[in-house]
Amino acid sequence: MDENSSARLKRRLLGVVYRIGLFLAMLTICLPGLWIVISSLRPTVEIMAKPPVWIPQGISFDAYVAMFSGIGKGGIPVIEYFRNSLIISVTSTVIAVAIGMAGGYAFARYRFRGKSSVFLGLMLTRTVPGIALSLPLFFLYVRLGIIDTHFGLILAYVALNVPFTIWLIDGFFRQVPKDLAEAAQIDGCTRWQAFWQVEFPLAGPGIASAAIFAFLTCWNEFALASQLTRSVSAKTLPVGLLDYTAEFTIDWRGMCALAVVMIIPALTLTYIVQKHLVGGLTSGAVKG
Amino acid sequence: MKGFKPSAPFLLLLPAMIVLAAVVVVPLLLSLYSSFTPFRLTRPETFYVFIGIRNYLSILSNTDFWWAFGRTVLLLTIALNLEMLLGLGLAMLVEKATRGQRILRTLMMFPMMFSPILVGFQFKFMFNDNIGLVNNALQSLGISRNAIPWLIEGHLAFIAISIAEIWSSTAIFAILILAGLLAMPKEPIEAARVDGCTPWQTFRYVTWPFVMPFAYIAMTIRSLDVARAYDIVKIMTDGGPAGRTELLWTLVARTAYSDGRMGMANAMAYFSILLSIAFTVYFFNKLAAARTQIGAEW
Repeated sequence: MDENSSARLKRRLLGVVYRIGLFLAMLTICLPGLWIVISSLRPTVEIMAKPPVWIPQGISFDAYVAMFSGIGKGGIPVIEYFRNSLIISVTSTVIAVAIGMAGGYAFARYRFRGKSSVFLGLMLTRTVPGIALSLPLFFLYVRLGIIDTHFGLILAYVALNVPFTIWLIDGFFRQVPKDLAEAAQIDGCTRWQAFWQVEFPLAGPGIASAAIFAFLTCWNEFALASQLTRSVSAKTLPVGLLDYTAEFTIDWRGMCALAVVMIIPALTLTYIVQKHLVGGLTSGAVKG
Repeated sequence: MKGFKPSAPFLLLLPAMIVLAAVVVVPLLLSLYSSFTPFRLTRPETFYVFIGIRNYLSILSNTDFWWAFGRTVLLLTIALNLEMLLGLGLAMLVEKATRGQRILRTLMMFPMMFSPILVGFQFKFMFNDNIGLVNNALQSLGISRNAIPWLIEGHLAFIAISIAEIWSSTAIFAILILAGLLAMPKEPIEAARVDGCTPWQTFRYVTWPFVMPFAYIAMTIRSLDVARAYDIVKIMTDGGPAGRTELLWTLVARTAYSDGRMGMANAMAYFSILLSIAFTVYFFNKLAAARTQIGAEW
């Protein structure tokens, strides 16, 4: 009887410890982001207050209003940066996915010589650190006159995304049984038709998540963008964020607001793809 | 279809090859060449002067460079190991949860959505010695009387950067290890328990070997973008104070764009490229080995 109750106590204690651990872990994960959101909504006086004010006294959207009301007020042309980011990210994603689909299909459906070394070679191009790649690109782009243009950055981002897109899409095509396309071909489809009408729709959700992943890579990229863009006509949001620190006094609230603007598209998109992303990366790890 | 088929994969891979050749391979060859010249941005004619390996020799005797190199390796070692351990812990915590696992998994992915530049900014804000959350909390709780100069003192700044780096990338490990834990069949664990294994033995000899390939996938992905630490350092300390948090990548950027010494910077860049490639090849091989092992055992 005594042993029973002590075992029960021990189990309950472990349960409590487990919950506390989980709570602390989640707090550590969420707190920094939440703090940014809260700070962007408080008046600057409150952020600077000593001793600190923990509970916000009021909510104001001044930072956002100032940010989007143009150069005159906030100092940073956020709308232009946002537009640049969007144009560059979307265009390079579309191109990278088209190229990645062709490549991924080749890896998933064909056997050819040196397949694994080609794959490793593709991955190795991705390992080149952005800043190391920016040196020759900067020089070349200046010579070709495409420095500080959308086109230059799009080109660089396509190359940045192709290897990883191929990896992901390869995994998704592998999950589609070969027999289905073969059955379609027996029924009179050409290989081209079989691809578009059978394999593509089945791998569709996976390809969509590869696209979103590529989009996020472009959206978040900084090392290349910071060197290959110079002016309002091509600067992206991450480079724009640095504009705030370049000033003598840092406008913390404005930076927080810009950070929130940057994170919202990323947050939404990642939430949509999270399930497929994990599936794509691990396919082949268990199924061989 | 006849005669076309053997070249199909080649044709399909051709666009990828062309883009990568144009944007990665050719520029890298160009930068390899310029690492043998005293090329300066301000004096274009120096691009055609060949000086052999003099840049590399002067790097070898440059203490700043070796400090940056050592610091980069140290940061990566600390960060990758801790990320792996914390990711494993986090995955096991979430896997044990009986209710609300979906929402926990979403929360767990939260840091992945932050771009490195945002992570850097966010921790710069939190570690600010005057108005940062960390110091405010420490002072309010009475743990520390004075403001701790997180980003101003060299060692503390390195710690702060490591924390930012770990915070942002633990999620990748946690997600993939969790995927492994969820995909794992339950019978071997039960069999081990019936046979009298302790929880630790069950974990060490049953769970871990199964989950390992997933951890290596995470490692491979991480090693593909180890250089994202550049963004974090750039915004948090920009290599300061007095170069105490200078990493290989920030040093390359400073040499190239602030000093304009492109030739030298390209020589340094090649060291950082080799470092990245070494990491990737190492983990890629581990991944392949782990895959075949799993294939044999399960």
